Amino acid sequence: MRWIALQACSIEPLSSTDGAAVQSLGGAIAPQVISAAAVQQAICAIALSFTPRVALCSNAVVMEVSGSLRLFGGLHKLAALLEASLHTFFNKNSLIAHIIRAQAATSLIAIGRLRLLRTGQKVPVRVADMPLHTLAATQLHMGVLERTGCRSWGDLLALPRDGVARRFGAPLLAALDQARGALPEVYTWRTLPEQFEQKIELDALVIHASALMAGVDMLLVQLHAWLLGRQSGLCALKLVWHLDKRRDGPSTGELTVRTAQPAQHPKHVARLIAERLNQVSLSAPVHSITLASLETVSLLDAAGATASLLIEPRQQGASSIQLIERLSARLGSASVQMWQPQADHRPERMQRWVTLDASGDTGYLATESIAARARINSVKDIKGIKNTTKNTLESSIRAEALFPTWLLHQPLKLASKAGAPLHQGPLVRLAGPQRLEATGWLLANGAECANRIDIFPALRDYFIYRSSQGVLLWIYSERLALTGGDQSQQKPAPQNQGQREWYLHGVFA
Amino acid sequence: MTLNVTTALKLNEPADIAHVWRASELGGAYASTIATGYAALSRVLPGGGWPCGAMTEVLQSQPGQHEWGLLAPALGALQAASPDSLVALVGAPYCPFGPALSARQLNMQRLLNIHATKNDSPAMLWAAREALQCADVEAVLAWLPDARSAHLRRLQIAALTHNKLLFVFRRLAAQHESSPAPLRLRLAGTLQSVDAAACNLQIEVFKRRGPLLGAQILIDTRPARLAALLAASRERVHQHTPQTEPAAALFDMSGILRKPLHALDRTASLQH
Repeated sequence: MRWIALQACSIEPLSSTDGAAVQSLGGAIAPQVISAAAVQQAICAIALSFTPRVALCSNAVVMEVSGSLRLFGGLHKLAALLEASLHTFFNKNSLIAHIIRAQAATSLIAIGRLRLLRTGQKVPVRVADMPLHTLAATQLHMGVLERTGCRSWGDLLALPRDGVARRFGAPLLAALDQARGALPEVYTWRTLPEQFEQKIELDALVIHASALMAGVDMLLVQLHAWLLGRQSGLCALKLVWHLDKRRDGPSTGELTVRTAQPAQHPKHVARLIAERLNQVSLSAPVHSITLASLETVSLLDAAGATASLLIEPRQQGASSIQLIERLSARLGSASVQMWQPQADHRPERMQRWVTLDASGDTGYLATESIAARARINSVKDIKGIKNTTKNTLESSIRAEALFPTWLLHQPLKLASKAGAPLHQGPLVRLAGPQRLEATGWLLANGAECANRIDIFPALRDYFIYRSSQGVLLWIYSERLALTGGDQSQQKPAPQNQGQREWYLHGVFA
Repeated sequence: MTLNVTTALKLNEPADIAHVWRASELGGAYASTIATGYAALSRVLPGGGWPCGAMTEVLQSQPGQHEWGLLAPALGALQAASPDSLVALVGAPYCPFGPALSARQLNMQRLLNIHATKNDSPAMLWAAREALQCADVEAVLAWLPDARSAHLRRLQIAALTHNKLLFVFRRLAAQHESSPAPLRLRLAGTLQSVDAAACNLQIEVFKRRGPLLGAQILIDTRPARLAALLAASRERVHQHTPQTEPAAALFDMSGILRKPLHALDRTASLQH
């Protein structure tokens, strides 16, 4: 049996020289950002990623690691890894934690050593020399034991067992036997719940949604520890705020945040929540908030990643997916778009700008494709495989140099003078016409789309004009208007030139 | 005494000191530059191309007039060099048209179009800065008509710290404002429709790290096929008497067909 006992001595926020790191977690973090109980829970969760046998015993976290020694390569390596992961956890959450650690053959010895370490006393080499106050069961009988001259565990053991049992009761003897390893130690092992759900009461009623971030930060620290313990990454979470019941209206409000890539460190999630909260207006003061995980993905290589002895490559800035998620959190989901080609003859339908949003359907796929591509490429970089998917993708894109580089969102109707269009002054025709006829029967699924309003026949003559500012414009004239799908009533264009309607559709920039 | 001599020697060789150059020469202090694709333009830019890690301010009378012609060769080369990098467009005036830009060797799949719902210039500034801070974004094109000098300074610092290409497009009215951009250009289209080799874009570099450039640069930014089409149309107009009526010109071209019986007319297939 190998036992490790852990206890946090002091927790303080990172000094102000690292103000950027504190700011990045979404605002000013109060000094009491995390309670002692929360620290203990966090240590428990992180300890659980090393061994399933973790328990709380008299203010300390004790873990039995004899089953994990072989996996982690010995007690020293395990202890070093544990220390490193605790350090990175508190560091990433902008905290400085002083955590003391002691190890021994039984948990009571480990806790006893921890107490000596905490008070700064010298830890004796022999267990028998440990001072008696380090054994919790002696607290009740400290005065009598002092007067009988018992100073150390060895002194107590030297006393006759019958007399000790009669004078001090069986529990002290049992504790002594457990400390010696003669009796088994019984603990209820801690487990992590399947889903994270934690509710906290806020210090004061909050009126502005952005002020909820202080509470959210506290919960995110616990969520981070929970994710580390479960060795999983977060995909979606829900934040619920409970409104004052004395007001009319709904009693809770909530928002859901999704990320395309599972993340263990919720710093990115914190930024997303902060952006979303900035847009929320609260109908009543908020007294408490709940944070719940909706979807998590287990990261198989999480243990391997923490075991790496190499320094992690320092990433310069955020990844593209984080950028997209942050932009759509603040500007709205429709504000970030990617290009998609489409098979159509009409210029406005040759392409589509797809919204990139993790919650939408198509957007999610597009975001996924970016993420997948980034992943594939990183793998390829390692393995040195040539990028072949790119060529097939690009061959499907129709490239045509005679199209304008800018396309107007909506064709702009132009004034005309003597049958010629005007746009910020007179225009000079350079080329044209280029005829475009796309009617319902030309479309691939024309029959089923015939009744839709957005499918209208396009009968246009495109011309290239040069404006008075020397810019080439792509202007078309509606050749004729089909009325009600009756194609026999076509009016011949030449006779009707006075009423031709001119539209600006693109710019050769 | 010795110290003075050495400093004097060093000052005689300004090439050794970063950010110091002779008044008569071009500064070459940029860490790296991207070739513009136009020899005439590259010749007058410090470092011989668009500066990485610095803001380039481009002024034109209206947004959406000459951007792609100026930047497409450089952006295409950039994307070819690093296929995973993104190019972010912030507040673009119109929709970038994929088929035409693909023909100019741009990878449309790696283009990020960022726009606000309304004309929200603080949000656009924020988005441009966020894009500059992203590791995967190589170049940012931002249309910021309302930006002030102080706002641009933040962008310039972001571009500098993250070593990104940054182009900011503004109106001509911004010409007299002070700007943190080390490179400022003024663009205008040319009107003379003389020979086929006529250049269509006139560039004035009115701020750069180097001596003042008196002359204007003329470059031809049109793709070969478009230039050929325009030349062919001009030929046709020269041969026939110029027709003012657009409908009549329509039938002149087809020649044989008096009525538009065909369903879809293609453009003349001209070789590059």
